[in-house]
Amino acid sequence: MLVDYINLALNQIFVENILLAFFLGMCSYLSQSRKMESATGLGVAVIFVLTLSCPMNWAIREFLLAKGALAWTGSESLAGLDLSFLGFICYIAVIASLVQLVELVIDRYFPALYTSLGIFLPLITVNCSILGASLFMEERGYKFGQSLVFGFSSGIGWFLAIVALAAIRKKIRYSHVPQGLRGLGMAFIVTGLMAFGFLAFSGIDLKTVTKKAPEPAAPAVEAPALEAPTIDIPSDLEDEDLEGEA
Amino acid sequence: MKFMLDMHDKMRPLFEKGGKLEKLWPLFDAHDTFVFTPADTTHEGSHLRDAIDLKRVMITVIFALGPAILFGIWNAGHQHNLNAEGATAGILSDMMQGAWIVLPIIFVSYAAGGVWEVLFATVRRHEINEGFLVTGMLFPLTLPPTIPLWQVAVGISFGVVIGKEVFGGTGMNVLNPALTARAFLFFAYPVQMSGDAVWTAVDGFVGATPLSIAAATVEGSSVVEALTSAGYSFSSMLMGAIPGSIGETSALMALLGAGILLMTGIGSGRIMASMVVGALVMGTTLKLFGSSAFSDLPPHYHLVMGGFAFGCVFMATDPVSAAATARGQLIYGFLIGVIAVIVRTINPAYPEGVMLAILFMNVMAPLIDHYVLQAHIKSRAANRGLANA
Repeated sequence: MLVDYINLALNQIFVENILLAFFLGMCSYLSQSRKMESATGLGVAVIFVLTLSCPMNWAIREFLLAKGALAWTGSESLAGLDLSFLGFICYIAVIASLVQLVELVIDRYFPALYTSLGIFLPLITVNCSILGASLFMEERGYKFGQSLVFGFSSGIGWFLAIVALAAIRKKIRYSHVPQGLRGLGMAFIVTGLMAFGFLAFSGIDLKTVTKKAPEPAAPAVEAPALEAPTIDIPSDLEDEDLEGEA
Repeated sequence: MKFMLDMHDKMRPLFEKGGKLEKLWPLFDAHDTFVFTPADTTHEGSHLRDAIDLKRVMITVIFALGPAILFGIWNAGHQHNLNAEGATAGILSDMMQGAWIVLPIIFVSYAAGGVWEVLFATVRRHEINEGFLVTGMLFPLTLPPTIPLWQVAVGISFGVVIGKEVFGGTGMNVLNPALTARAFLFFAYPVQMSGDAVWTAVDGFVGATPLSIAAATVEGSSVVEALTSAGYSFSSMLMGAIPGSIGETSALMALLGAGILLMTGIGSGRIMASMVVGALVMGTTLKLFGSSAFSDLPPHYHLVMGGFAFGCVFMATDPVSAAATARGQLIYGFLIGVIAVIVRTINPAYPEGVMLAILFMNVMAPLIDHYVLQAHIKSRAANRGLANA
């Protein structure tokens, strides 16, 4: 059980890093990685929001929205309801209120960080990685414990990616970068190269070591299966998702 | 020589500021420093300042690569002769055959990469230096001898342009350009870069590398026995007369190179040592707790298998992409060792993990440096009793 959780966490941080494998939450990632302090601050805020929003959304789905979820009320007519079409709006509402909470706390205790994050703090609400995590959780049918670990480790993964980018951007600050690529252009290229580095872990599954591997390891791969992790975004989501990013 | 120098000096005004060929100054400068011994020293790039020119640093690396290059050429020919004719030919014939296989790859790497290097140097007016000689040599040494030449050209172009030049040239890059090129080819053309059929330059010949044999060991049987029955012992892998990438099969030659780099003080011994320690620690952990057949491998085998030694000596110690702080280098090397062993043992998708481990840690190196520096600043402040410093 514990091994499953650790496996899930490592998987979310390194193998399926929500930023570097799925490229979700790019806007605040690119704009807030100029300074180490703001990158760290935003990263921590995202960890916080993800850790709470995933299990909360799980509960909302499990007890209110999913087909037959209202059976606990005991009422026949309610038990037959399928409210899952309300999923998006409920998830967003939960996320938005959590972000409000974070905002209050940061404004009260870290005013400097609050100013430097500016508009990007409220914009966590529409940070794709946060809604994305809730939707992944729904798609993959996680249990409560899993959704908690999933949210937290997705946040850690996002945090790791943004601070790594911030450190790299600090390193190349005085580099003789071609004029047209300065700033955002370079951030995109570096992000691509970082995703390259993270590919080292794609395909790792802790279970194969910790449990007795059932099948003999496949003979050295002719052409290793390197396809990107499949992204299952319902087709009707894509439009809203893009708007949120813009 | 005198005659050449005269000619060279006579042409100098043409290239200097205001001259007719002013735009081609980097080319002239490159010729100047490659062929003669000007008194320039470096003020930028991979080190802040030093009594020697960056070019001297880079040329030392090329010398250190010498044993690996020569051995790689011999081994490519040796493997070919061994498996095409079924008998060992003389050392001379092996060398000739190997040169026939390897030199075109090196040549294409230099030519294609050189075009980009000169183009960028001319347009952006920075100097052409031996940094490229190192990249252009490291890259072919990590390739299988059967690699199609056009892929060599594509790979080195990617490495030089995206891996280095867009960052502003030598000393500015974040990832090691040779490894970037290698990884690019690995992901773009996996058929030519992995599997069992690419390591020997004989058509249709299938010769598995030690790593792929180890990875394919069936549950319940001993991985060492599997290796031995395929003809690989610890010492044969140390010597390196086995199928594999051109320059990386011999751990011994990499060790020679390490000797040169350490004696001249160019490679970081801290990184090499901590990387070895990392691999041993992880190898031992896997041996104790792992349960797949591969994880049962004695830890010291990891050091001689695949590209570990080569990557450890020549790739991880790249002063530009590695961590720069002393403590950071220890962390950096250690984690490369750990991750390399994890990837090659656990990840079914990749038989080799050293390249990807180094790339990953290249990405993380600036972050490590940042935290090491912050910790240092904090401890200094604490020592001096400064509040809020």
